[in-house]
Amino acid sequence: METPTQMYWTGLSPDDAREALVNKDKSMRDKTMTLKEAVARFIRDGDNVGVGGFVNIRQPIAITHEMVRHGFRDLTLSWQSAGLAADYLAGAMMVDESRFSIKRIELAYWAHESFGLSPMFRYLAESGKIELEDWSNYNMSARFKAGAMGLPFLPTRSPVAGDIPSSNRTRIIICPFTGRKIALVPASNPNVAIIHVNAADKYGNCTIRGTDATCPEIAMASAHTIVTCEELVDHEVTANHPKDVGIPFPAVDAVVHVPFGAYPGACRRHYYFNGDHIRRFHAATAPMHKGGASDDLKSYYDEYIFGVETFDDFIQKFPAEKLMADQAAESLNCERPA
Amino acid sequence: MTASKNYTAQEIIVVAGSKILEDRKIVFVGTGLPMVATLLAKLTHAPGLIPVFEAGAIGPPLSVGLPISVGDSKTFTGASYVKGLNAAFEMTQRGYADFGFIGGAEIDMYGNLNSTMIGHYPDGYQKPAVRLPGSGGASDMAASCERTILIVPHDKRKFKEQLSYVTSPGHLDGSPNARYNAGLQGKGPYRLITTRGIFDFEEKTGRMRLISVFPGETVESIQAATGFELLTAKELTPFPPPTNEELRLIREEIDPAGVFVKK
Repeated sequence: METPTQMYWTGLSPDDAREALVNKDKSMRDKTMTLKEAVARFIRDGDNVGVGGFVNIRQPIAITHEMVRHGFRDLTLSWQSAGLAADYLAGAMMVDESRFSIKRIELAYWAHESFGLSPMFRYLAESGKIELEDWSNYNMSARFKAGAMGLPFLPTRSPVAGDIPSSNRTRIIICPFTGRKIALVPASNPNVAIIHVNAADKYGNCTIRGTDATCPEIAMASAHTIVTCEELVDHEVTANHPKDVGIPFPAVDAVVHVPFGAYPGACRRHYYFNGDHIRRFHAATAPMHKGGASDDLKSYYDEYIFGVETFDDFIQKFPAEKLMADQAAESLNCERPA
Repeated sequence: MTASKNYTAQEIIVVAGSKILEDRKIVFVGTGLPMVATLLAKLTHAPGLIPVFEAGAIGPPLSVGLPISVGDSKTFTGASYVKGLNAAFEMTQRGYADFGFIGGAEIDMYGNLNSTMIGHYPDGYQKPAVRLPGSGGASDMAASCERTILIVPHDKRKFKEQLSYVTSPGHLDGSPNARYNAGLQGKGPYRLITTRGIFDFEEKTGRMRLISVFPGETVESIQAATGFELLTAKELTPFPPPTNEELRLIREEIDPAGVFVKK
């Protein structure tokens, strides 16, 4: 039998992931706390952090701001497609590597669709500062799903050709049943998941509107999960619609009520994208791309992240009219519930 | 239907893309111009076209406007089925997607696409000359949609003999049964739409073949903008310029803000 000499796990191994759950307090208790407390308690230097959302939709922006204020070193980040959450963590590394650093990224996509490329990704990748492992959206989603299912891998129809298989830990085998080639993608079991949802109760039962992205799988695969929510609702509300619970309470360790927690990205039924601020944030990296200093980016962080105590203070920096306009824009998107 | 003389390269791409889509089929829609082409098809010859978005929206009417992301709230309103990424890709893997609409930064003669990096792979992988966004769902769509429609702006730097990196597999090296032997599903690249014309892929060789020429272009001008030898169909059809009505739909109804179709 082939021995898996080249195999390595970047979060928890499947056995360790199981052990983490066995030893975890799975009781139905009040898990509400501050973001400061949640980030300090559940994230460690060197952790593999599973990032929820999809591009700029329902990304855990408030959690990334608090992570930047706390400071972490040598993180591995795992996601399918990310935008602003990735940018905020990466930008912190560009400002001061001794205070915040990312060692490795396992990803399918890091950019902003209609808002363009990520200047943070280009800067860090093109200067060789982070280790990369490229996958596809389905590969990363299947990896989290394998982790959530308690399996070491899932068989998938991609990647079997091109250069993605040799960029990562995919194994291509001959299927024992069909005789055709098929890919096996290894499970991803992050140390901690960071996820923003539409609503949660104090025990951590979460309801997601619009895309689930891969949030349920990431939460179930991870050893710990921090959840921020637009609305903190009574347990009676979630219990009345149990099939609307996308993430069940035993998978959640911290519940933090953070309205606008995915802003300036979008959140279904709450607010649409603030494209102006995305561009404003990206523009602060411009001098660094020309070989210049990080002053502009540092002043952005000093103003919007280090200069505030909480994410509420960050939101207070936007004019009320702008926040209301972004809420109104989203309300036009939601003629029918889904 | 009056033909227009005043249209942009992106507008003719959108019109060509919409015409390739067939009514009552399922199309897996990537971000950008494919969204505009899908909406145009729905408003013209294919009202029963069913869009699927990788973030998990199945069959939305797209009646609340052009999405600016494939996970946009606008893709979920009125959708018949709303899940996440795994569900969308599992359905595609199962064979529910008749068409997939994908793009890339570079393409070779077999319809293989690069959207990962410019530079030397594998030696320069960890420090690329230019880092692109990465596969997203494109390589999954390339592996599992029944037929893919590719969109790439046409110039010599993008139409290359050798790609820096193969993100989304097309007809691979063009050898017989290359896709099947590699473990891929579906027939692979079906049409390529560029800023200069429309191409199919010759069945025997898997090679890019010019089948339709956009106004103002010739076989020679297109070959001159291509970094490898093109095949040319025996009977080339000139592609008509967009009609005034098509342009009105794109400019006024579908993308009035110029999010993807720049003014």
